[in-house]
Amino acid sequence: MKRDQVRSSSGRRTRFAGAKAVLSGALAVSSLALISVGSATAASASAKKITVAFVVGAEADPFFISMNAGAQAEATKLGVNLIWQGNPSQYSPSTQIPIVQQVISQLQSSKPSALVLGPTDPKALQPYVNQAIKAGIPTFNVDSSVANLKKVVSFVTGNNAQGGAAAADALATAMGYKAGKKYNVAVGMTSPTATTNVLRFQGFKAEVAKKYPGIKIVAEAYSQSSPTTANSNIQGWLTKYSQGSSTALNGIFAIDGTNAEGAASALQAAGLACSATSCGSGKVALVGYDAYNTNVALLQQGIFAALIAQDPAKEGMLSVLNAYNFLTHHKVKGIKHLITLPNVTLTPKSPAALLTKYTYQTA
Amino acid sequence: MSRAVSEVVSPSSNEGEPASWARRLVGNQQFMLFVVFVAIFAFFTFNDSVFASVSEIGNNITDFSTLVLLAVGETFVIATGGIDLSVGGTSGFAGVVGAIAMEHLAPHGEWVVLGVGTLVCLGVGIGIGLINAVLMHYARLVPFVATLVTMGAAEGMSLVLTGGAPVGSNFGAITLTEPKISVFSYPDIIIILITVVAGLYLHYSKFGRYTFAIGSNSFAVRAVGVNVRRHLTWVYVLSGALAGLTGMFIYMRLGSGAPSAGVGTELVAIAAVVIGGARLTGGSAQLSGTVLGAMILTIVSSGLIIMNVSPNFNQVAVAILIALAATFQALRKGSRADV
Repeated sequence: MKRDQVRSSSGRRTRFAGAKAVLSGALAVSSLALISVGSATAASASAKKITVAFVVGAEADPFFISMNAGAQAEATKLGVNLIWQGNPSQYSPSTQIPIVQQVISQLQSSKPSALVLGPTDPKALQPYVNQAIKAGIPTFNVDSSVANLKKVVSFVTGNNAQGGAAAADALATAMGYKAGKKYNVAVGMTSPTATTNVLRFQGFKAEVAKKYPGIKIVAEAYSQSSPTTANSNIQGWLTKYSQGSSTALNGIFAIDGTNAEGAASALQAAGLACSATSCGSGKVALVGYDAYNTNVALLQQGIFAALIAQDPAKEGMLSVLNAYNFLTHHKVKGIKHLITLPNVTLTPKSPAALLTKYTYQTA
Repeated sequence: MSRAVSEVVSPSSNEGEPASWARRLVGNQQFMLFVVFVAIFAFFTFNDSVFASVSEIGNNITDFSTLVLLAVGETFVIATGGIDLSVGGTSGFAGVVGAIAMEHLAPHGEWVVLGVGTLVCLGVGIGIGLINAVLMHYARLVPFVATLVTMGAAEGMSLVLTGGAPVGSNFGAITLTEPKISVFSYPDIIIILITVVAGLYLHYSKFGRYTFAIGSNSFAVRAVGVNVRRHLTWVYVLSGALAGLTGMFIYMRLGSGAPSAGVGTELVAIAAVVIGGARLTGGSAQLSGTVLGAMILTIVSSGLIIMNVSPNFNQVAVAILIALAATFQALRKGSRADV
């Protein structure tokens, strides 16, 4: 369930221009400078107070902002000191490693302490996890993991394969799937290497093969992390698989945030988007991923038939709780080594409270 | 891609040898690009007749409009021997700032919203163009570094302002990008008009002549009393302004301001200019070539989608086109000055 360099949900971190390496170096320095400021609450530094440090990939992503909110709430409840670090926008080991190093030395001087890491690369971050454990700092993984999880106390993550399967179910429902009829579906992805994309797509295909033999996946394309490219791709499909032709497109699975945005606008421009009241024939059903607030607004209008949402707040909350329990009881007992949180299907009919709960937060 | 400091002015030989019409046509980069464009178009149409359908041509024009203004601005910059890496980031940042402004203006009716939004995007673009000029003239950075700095800053600020998520949801704006006059939407027509005016300006005005002259030999231009700094400032402001307008167009396409919308597009714009026959060392560029370059890049990516080919081939196809264009240029005998 590990996340690739290209964190798919928005893919904002994808960078291919070599020139960017120069910048990421500069950004790493600037984030190091920020570390000393940190977000550690200075309140009541009693000797025995537990410190938990999170180091995530890209802090500014609403996914991680939500995780931070969940972690912070739990930390306040348990009286834990929370340190929250990550590069603002670059999801890459080259910017994450210096931050991890800094945080480890910080944690050594403030024991009892624990490290919760969302590694940006399973192999590149492995040595630093080993280093932390050797220094007597129990280490946890969240969202993504290092290659060797043996010494990691616990790994909390979302279930991408299950999310992909849930998307297939939601799309079938939205298209009014009936056995014996044929349906054409296209899938918009970020890149062929983003592991979240791959897992979601695998889950989607497996569910289609198992339950919906009438669904044919006629096209796939990559947005390369750009919503504009996603929009172009989908415009092309809507022309090629035009309504009224024998190969008319019935549904789209937008596997990440950029595709969700590009698909919604392309469908609206072509007048093929569903509305809150109807999604009959001649329309294209759209199922998206990730509950960014703009996506949730489009869900409420019915343009999205469903959104598959992860639960980053709960990932943050459970990670703090696990670290707290481990440090208070000094043993692994009762803490599961792998915790996979199911992704949730949101529809226009979901109660408002549920939508609010799962909508990713912004800073 | 660093700029050759002492670029020697190429002797503007007036093609002394008596050439047949055919040979002149083959030697003409614009004509050859047009042939390539037609060939690629025919290839995709032969593969799937949908490619020549009205709605697919409309799609292509929308994609073309997203790219061409960036490439036009880049043509001016490259003609001076510079490079502007910030156009992609600028378009994204302008779209985000514009989207935030338009969200606040929402109660004021659609035309006010879009009008002010366009001005905000334009203003952001001009601002970044000015920052580029200041970094080059006062901090003494070369264009590559100055615009690399603003590219990073613009992309970063887009994330800071949005928290990573797209801003706004404007269905009215999306409908404006639908074809209204034949296969063109109103914004498409405005963008094409801007492109035509920019082309006339580059090739038939004093401003354009100075632009090329600075790219050929900025010392000589300074020696005859032209304020090179001021001229370059205008060129980068123009590039920024066009990037800002592109940001507005992307906002209209998506109905929202997306922080990652412009990322990487500067390289596509530069590719269009290079395919169009411009010299990266400055002094030579053809806006018609840039337009053809943008047209070719547009149909290649949409054609591959229609063919359902893995989009990874897109990058390979673009690489091959650039290599061919550059080789063709190098092989041309007695390269003429295009001033």
